Amino acid sequence: MRIDRTLAISRKVLRSLKHDRRTAGFLVLMPLFMIAIFGYAFGGSVREVPVYIVNLDEGFNGTMVSDMVIDDLRSRDVLKIVEVLGPEDLAADPVGTSIDKVERAEIWAAIVFDENFSADAMGALASLRAGLPAVPASIEIHMDATNPNVAQAVTAELLRAVQTVTVGEWHLVPPIALEQDLVYGEGAEFIDFFAPGVMGLAAMMVTFMLSIISFVHERATGTLDRLLTTPVTEGEIVCGYAAALGLVALIQSTIILSAAVLLFQVHVEGNILLALMIIFLLGIGNQGLGFLLSSNAKNEFQAVQFMPIVLFPSILLAGVFWPLEAVPDFLRPVSYFIPLTYAVDGARSVMIRGWGLGEVWFQVLVLILFAAIMLLLSAYSLKKRR
Amino acid sequence: MTGRGHAGGFGDKPKSGRKDDATIRIEKLRKVFGDLVAVAGLDLRVEKGVLYGMIGPNGSGKTTTIRMLVGLARPTGGKAWVLGEEVPMRRGVERIGYMPQEMAIYTDLTVHENLELFSQLYSMDDAAFREREKELLGMIDLGDRRDSLVSQLSGGMRHRVSLACALVHDPEVVFLDEPTVGVDPELRAGFWRYFAELKERGKTIVLTTHYMDEATRCDIVGMMRLGELIAEGTPAQLMDGASASNLEDAFMQYARRSGR
Repeated sequence: MRIDRTLAISRKVLRSLKHDRRTAGFLVLMPLFMIAIFGYAFGGSVREVPVYIVNLDEGFNGTMVSDMVIDDLRSRDVLKIVEVLGPEDLAADPVGTSIDKVERAEIWAAIVFDENFSADAMGALASLRAGLPAVPASIEIHMDATNPNVAQAVTAELLRAVQTVTVGEWHLVPPIALEQDLVYGEGAEFIDFFAPGVMGLAAMMVTFMLSIISFVHERATGTLDRLLTTPVTEGEIVCGYAAALGLVALIQSTIILSAAVLLFQVHVEGNILLALMIIFLLGIGNQGLGFLLSSNAKNEFQAVQFMPIVLFPSILLAGVFWPLEAVPDFLRPVSYFIPLTYAVDGARSVMIRGWGLGEVWFQVLVLILFAAIMLLLSAYSLKKRR
Repeated sequence: MTGRGHAGGFGDKPKSGRKDDATIRIEKLRKVFGDLVAVAGLDLRVEKGVLYGMIGPNGSGKTTTIRMLVGLARPTGGKAWVLGEEVPMRRGVERIGYMPQEMAIYTDLTVHENLELFSQLYSMDDAAFREREKELLGMIDLGDRRDSLVSQLSGGMRHRVSLACALVHDPEVVFLDEPTVGVDPELRAGFWRYFAELKERGKTIVLTTHYMDEATRCDIVGMMRLGELIAEGTPAQLMDGASASNLEDAFMQYARRSGR
């Protein structure tokens, strides 16, 4: 494999993009557009959501974690706590009463802290300190999820409050993924949650799209065949394309990130280069996937038909907008099969949790394997073509 | 009778496996796509410095033969050697040039960028490339369009760029699949002058064409039909052998004789 020929291919790819002003503009504007839409549409805060709280928490050694969470919720205006029912109301079936209110759409949610909440929470914290797997304490939410924005706002606010309390009191961010019933979670602003997802999604869409269209075009016009009659090897063609499109993905991610930081004050906790590397690997893998699928498309129109097939599952199941845990069980294996899942999870962990390579090595490893396998298969399919 | 009626007696057919120094040597070459026999046991040799023209109707196997010689298609049977290397070649690829029938150049790049890309794939150094580019742009008469996007050029111009890309690395053997389609007569004459020049420099050229008047300019013409060579020789020999006054009539004669 020779680097000069590989770079010649990369240069060719970038040059065609440079000449195609509209596509080049699209590559720059699309991520801005995406982050703006997501930022404003989903980032717009929901306020004053009426809820009931049922607090049956009995405390643990005198510590009432639930009260601390409720105080924190009161200090902000996302939730309007209409009523807090305690153990003294047990006779009146506080949970049933609250659910009834939800059913009558008088409130959006009934939040229930059970009697062991503090005990479970402290137990989980102790496990974490000891490096053991933590059994999450749970907050029950009976929610009217008619409006997913509201539903998510409630969940997010609750998790944020829990995190504020646990971090404030015990300086521990529990490394547990966002799950509706989990006490511990990121509790990040929505836009913080979205930014890494949008980065991954944009990188994936663009590398896949550019790759499949370019290669369908190369096959249809005979340029691919012509390249193969020169000394350039299959590996060099594949790597040249991968490097060029990976670079495009990097530039895009940087734009998204800059916009997210400047427009939406997204916090970046971890090493941004690590997050970008994750996106780069994703881009390389997806350009390989685009290449492989391009051999099954006779023209650009057929190529475009692959896009929803590849993109929809990724958008919906990879945890970009909804946490993986919101994906139904029977679809979960599909999620774990989608590389974007690992990229988004990895980038998110780095950017929000501030994790380093030591923590996200698994995601990085999956993406390296994905990229390597795609490149090898691409080169192999080119070889077989001869 | 079927079989190959070699009208002219040009050149001896080599015996299989015999060592010889022909630039291109093809023995019993076959290519089958499903039920379709594209090339049906072709024997052929082209000596160094010869301008060899393949003529024949669509589907006669010309393009498939060339694609096998440049390594884009694997023979179903038989063997072929280019510059002593058996196809598909692993070594010596840089010594051959190929211009496919379709344009096969990047329309979203400029003329210069196309040429530079191919020069880089052949690992030419910059100085040599600059020199070569000037010469080729002169030959294809596109010196003033060096920085135009190929998509902005006419069909004929694109064809010329494609030819230049095949020649950029100064190959010893050039395969040109219909190099003059859509090229106007004046420029076509220019092309042929250039081919003659290449020949003088010892280059071997194999081209396919539909134009019978062009075929007469070749040193050797191979007439192909249904994947077989039905006649081969100098244009004069072919016309004599068929008692025809032009190659077109001669082709009809041989086609009839080949009995298919």
